[in-house]
Amino acid sequence: MSSSLQNLLNNWSQYRKGIEEGGHHKYEHRWAMVVDLNLCIGCNACSTACYAENNLPVVGKERYDRGHMMHWMRIERYWDESPDKEFHEQGASFLPMMCQQCGAAPCEPVCPVVATYHTPDGLNAQVYNRCIGSRYCSNNCPYKVRYFNFWSYYDAAWPEPLNMQLNPDLAVRDKGVMEKCTFCVQRIRVAKDQAKMENRKVKDGEFTTACAQACPTNAIVFGDQLDAESKVAQLWNKHQVQRVVTKQDKQNPDLRGYRILEELNVDPSVMYLERVRENVA
Amino acid sequence: MKSMWKGVRSRRGWLLGGGFVVFALMGLTVWAAATGEAPQSKPIVPPQGSYEGVAVEQPIEFPHDVHTKVNKINCLYCHTYGRRSKVAGIPPTSKCMGCHRVIATDKPRIKQLTEYWEKKQPVPWKKVHDVPDFVHFTHEKHLKRFIFDNEENVQNLSVDTVAPVCAYCHGDLREMTVAQKVKPMTMGWCVACHQANDGPGDCWKCHK
Amino acid sequence: MSGYDLNRRDFLKMMGWSAAGVTLAGCDLPTTVTLEEGKETVVSYLSPEEYVIPGVGVWYASTCMQCSAYCGIHGRVREGRALKLEGNPDSPINRGKLCQMGQSGVQGHYNPDRLTQPLARQDGKLVPITWDDAWKMLADKTSNLSGDRFAWVTGTVSGHQAVLLAAHMESLGATQHFVPEVIAPSVAQAVLADMFGEAMPRLALDKAKLIVSFGADFLGTWVSPTHFATQYAQFRAAPRGILVQIEPKMTLTGGNADLWVAIRPGTEGALALGLANLLLQDGVQADLPEGLRNTIAGYDLNKVAGATGIPAERITRIAALLKQHAPSLVLAGAPVEGQAHGYEATAAVLLLNVILGNVGQTIVSNGEFPFPQLRAKTGKRRDLLAFADAAKNKNLDAVFFHGANPVYHAPAYLQLSEHLQNIPFKVAFAQFPDETTLACDLVLPVASYIEDWGTHVAAYQPEQGVISVQQPLMEKLYPGTPGLGDALLTLLKAREPQKYEAWPDYYSYLRNAVAALPAEYKGDAASDEEFWNHTLQKGLIKVDVPAKPLNVKLPEITLPEIPAPDAATLQLTPAAQLGLWDGRHANLPWIQEAPDQISKVVWDAWAELHPSTAAKLGVKTGDLLEVASEQGAIKVKVFVFKGVHPDAIAVSLGQGHEEYGRYAKGVGANPLKILNPVTDAKTGELALYGTRVKVSGLGEHDKLVLEGRGQSAQFGRKLVATVPAEQFRNTEGA
Repeated sequence: MSSSLQNLLNNWSQYRKGIEEGGHHKYEHRWAMVVDLNLCIGCNACSTACYAENNLPVVGKERYDRGHMMHWMRIERYWDESPDKEFHEQGASFLPMMCQQCGAAPCEPVCPVVATYHTPDGLNAQVYNRCIGSRYCSNNCPYKVRYFNFWSYYDAAWPEPLNMQLNPDLAVRDKGVMEKCTFCVQRIRVAKDQAKMENRKVKDGEFTTACAQACPTNAIVFGDQLDAESKVAQLWNKHQVQRVVTKQDKQNPDLRGYRILEELNVDPSVMYLERVRENVA
Repeated sequence: MKSMWKGVRSRRGWLLGGGFVVFALMGLTVWAAATGEAPQSKPIVPPQGSYEGVAVEQPIEFPHDVHTKVNKINCLYCHTYGRRSKVAGIPPTSKCMGCHRVIATDKPRIKQLTEYWEKKQPVPWKKVHDVPDFVHFTHEKHLKRFIFDNEENVQNLSVDTVAPVCAYCHGDLREMTVAQKVKPMTMGWCVACHQANDGPGDCWKCHK
Repeated sequence: MSGYDLNRRDFLKMMGWSAAGVTLAGCDLPTTVTLEEGKETVVSYLSPEEYVIPGVGVWYASTCMQCSAYCGIHGRVREGRALKLEGNPDSPINRGKLCQMGQSGVQGHYNPDRLTQPLARQDGKLVPITWDDAWKMLADKTSNLSGDRFAWVTGTVSGHQAVLLAAHMESLGATQHFVPEVIAPSVAQAVLADMFGEAMPRLALDKAKLIVSFGADFLGTWVSPTHFATQYAQFRAAPRGILVQIEPKMTLTGGNADLWVAIRPGTEGALALGLANLLLQDGVQADLPEGLRNTIAGYDLNKVAGATGIPAERITRIAALLKQHAPSLVLAGAPVEGQAHGYEATAAVLLLNVILGNVGQTIVSNGEFPFPQLRAKTGKRRDLLAFADAAKNKNLDAVFFHGANPVYHAPAYLQLSEHLQNIPFKVAFAQFPDETTLACDLVLPVASYIEDWGTHVAAYQPEQGVISVQQPLMEKLYPGTPGLGDALLTLLKAREPQKYEAWPDYYSYLRNAVAALPAEYKGDAASDEEFWNHTLQKGLIKVDVPAKPLNVKLPEITLPEIPAPDAATLQLTPAAQLGLWDGRHANLPWIQEAPDQISKVVWDAWAELHPSTAAKLGVKTGDLLEVASEQGAIKVKVFVFKGVHPDAIAVSLGQGHEEYGRYAKGVGANPLKILNPVTDAKTGELALYGTRVKVSGLGEHDKLVLEGRGQSAQFGRKLVATVPAEQFRNTEGA
């Protein structure tokens, strides 16, 4: 404890450096995502792939109604027509919403036990065995993408032999624990471990998250933003979207990239590309 | 840990109570060591501490000492998955039979083994070392760090090179028949070793 | 675990699976020191393959059987358990992608309601019997069977299962094979066959600049959704094609349209002819027979606008779009074909492709698949009627079911449950206790597709023809359960032992069949063994199908006069959805908990009403409705939104199971039950969209559980922002 206190005091100026100044982090990786809403068809493939990959429990109708659902990846659906239109003529607006892995995550500082913190990969980690279930993080999350285990779902969600499907690479969370999208950290770990065993860097496209893998239209792109060659980094650059800022100042404001609620200064790691509609009416 | 503070201060100032700081500093002890690659030249500090595990009764009383101390068989010969996977694994029965088709076939324990083999049943070994399911220990990387990165001739490792490394966590199997848990295997114990040897301090390295 | 039968495929041996995810996480453990030491058994492998490493997942290629698109899959197997399914990137069907039904395949496999042992009816009840007794009973009861009094009732079958099934029918001298699939595009296939000489020509969505889809939910439930979704991604890349969807109820495809047009149900054919008329008037040159030209000329704009309820200016706009954007693609889906004049209406819609010159551009020949015996026998709604008739007329002594659930799908007027009693011996080869299975006299549990061998040829073939190959991802959960192939082989051996004795099981039969492929399929493979291994590794066999031109033959189209709307009733629109499909996936909890893409309803059935209709009825979202036809009534909850025509009520399809396990049973209602006896005049297909219903509020409010609590406004926040396509083209390339 004393060494870390000293560490804290020695590096005080670093800790005090804010997000506006670029933060102090020396990131190893910066996992990021791009969701192209021109391509997203709202089909749920990503969401179900997430259930399969991440041991998400099915809670049933009653608990769903109470807001106890555990879908880390949800598809929001909006109708954008003006109310005087007779029909939803421009179709639905689908929005895949998952943890945005904020660079300055509002959930982190409110956790009384540091169960949620920032990793050197730029991920917003949730440590289940540390979590005491205060739910402050969820209250502070502007995206409402944190899900709390109000119950122990083990027996109800995975009656035998359904439990044989559970992914052994990550825990099954029990009652009283908060959880959320991890950008499939178990896959990240496998890829990083593999790269390390072979004394090389993780290659772009070597692995991807379950949602991006499943997406039939490739609307979701995942990768390391620090790897200039990665598809993700190139898309962020192409759409002139900056990290850290609260308002994008693009050379070409017509480019579609934007970050949801970035004005809250949370620095989300997910860039969305605006939905496109032909004006044919 | 550092990241925890990033952006917080500038947006909110010091709004947090004392309790938080205390907890946070506890987190810091984990984090402080977690910077970058471990310099390979630094001498390894084996984890300290001991534990008195229960004696586990196995279906066959497997003599680790006979295999390692007397016959000098390298641990990784049988627990071969350890180099390539997070689990070191129980050797497949075919591996046992590779030798015991001809060696010591008259011994009662080998007869027991042969019986399982002929019935095509796996031996129902009992687990001796276990960690909770939210802990994802990986043998592969520990073996790389503590054996393969330090040895010139990895093709010809002797049991006396390997066994002391395995002993960090499992005790010296050269002195045991059936394995018994002799190390605490608690988080504090893991973390102490990570700090002493510049191991990673990111919670998500082990917990997910 | 050690109780498992450790045999043939030794690399599937279990190791330490109980350590893997079964004990619970964190909070209820008082200490970080394990609770399991000395208690938990770690089962080792006996004699594993070199590549099997505990703790490391191995991926095997196989084929998804959740619908009949037969996408290629990769299944992740660890410690002998199949954990996760993903698309096989080598498959030209799904190109590495997998929809939510495919993802949920593992839940069918590990489903807690799977049948595990044979059941036989004794004193009216199904009681467990041994496998030996079951096979013996089957042999005894079918030994003196007359072939013309026997029938198979299956889902879509293809590949070598289809070959063996045909052989079994032949061995009995039987000819009746019913494939009742309610959401199959069977009328469209009939029209396509007549019009272009091919029931399932290839569609190039990616090459179209404009798609006008009359209710064809190609992203959701139509033909090969994942394949079309991958094409859709190319279609929507810059310069970006335009999608216009015209349908009475918004489907997933409709939700993605640039222009969604609500049409009065049953008037799609008139609109198509009206558009044809506008195009011809506008100088589009098309070689049409005189009769057809005259028919088209009868559909002037005002008449069509009046009939369809679509403003005249909008119809002209769509015609203008069609004229401007070539090549385009015009599709006809379930609402068009599911009418009393479904054939004509579908023909009228598809005719637009001929007029616009899309044939050979976006509709191209699929050629002649070189192995006709492997081609899919696709589903038909009229098979449901034909089977019900056969049962009613006491034409059958025995029937075998596999992969079909006609009791659930049959409308009440067919009285199928009662008429089934006329068949003395009903056998279900079934994985689940569904409605049909529980009405049988002998139930033989079968292997899941994750445990079975097979080859499958999808009716819709992509550019690269393909035989999808299926292999087990893991050892059978319930020893003794045969796959369809093994069951058929056992049945055949009972009849013609000498002919089939060479093959101890379906696996060896299949291996033999693959080895017998002509040399050009085997590429550089040095031996049959090598080719077999290569085939399993890839999960498919590529088949080059030589293209040929489509021969266009235009039919006469006579559409009935459209009656004036009847204000007292609404048109029932049973709406299938990607997920529940035709109801077969209602027993998968992930599918039940996944919100419907459009309405966002979970764990329920619902009836969609336009706000104006709802206002007239005085109901709001969540209220209980009675939906009554001449054949009966169902109770269902209302979902009010502006994605349904005011003259329609869209009731979700797939719920309302009376059996089918804990997740499906008793959830919601089944709109198929109240269908009127309406069929398409030309093809005899059951018309799903041909029933008018009286709808009334019951004055009760029941809860409809909606994802996001039904919230669907952005309140000015930039959550989903929309930009015009013009801007997209400027910035991201023309």
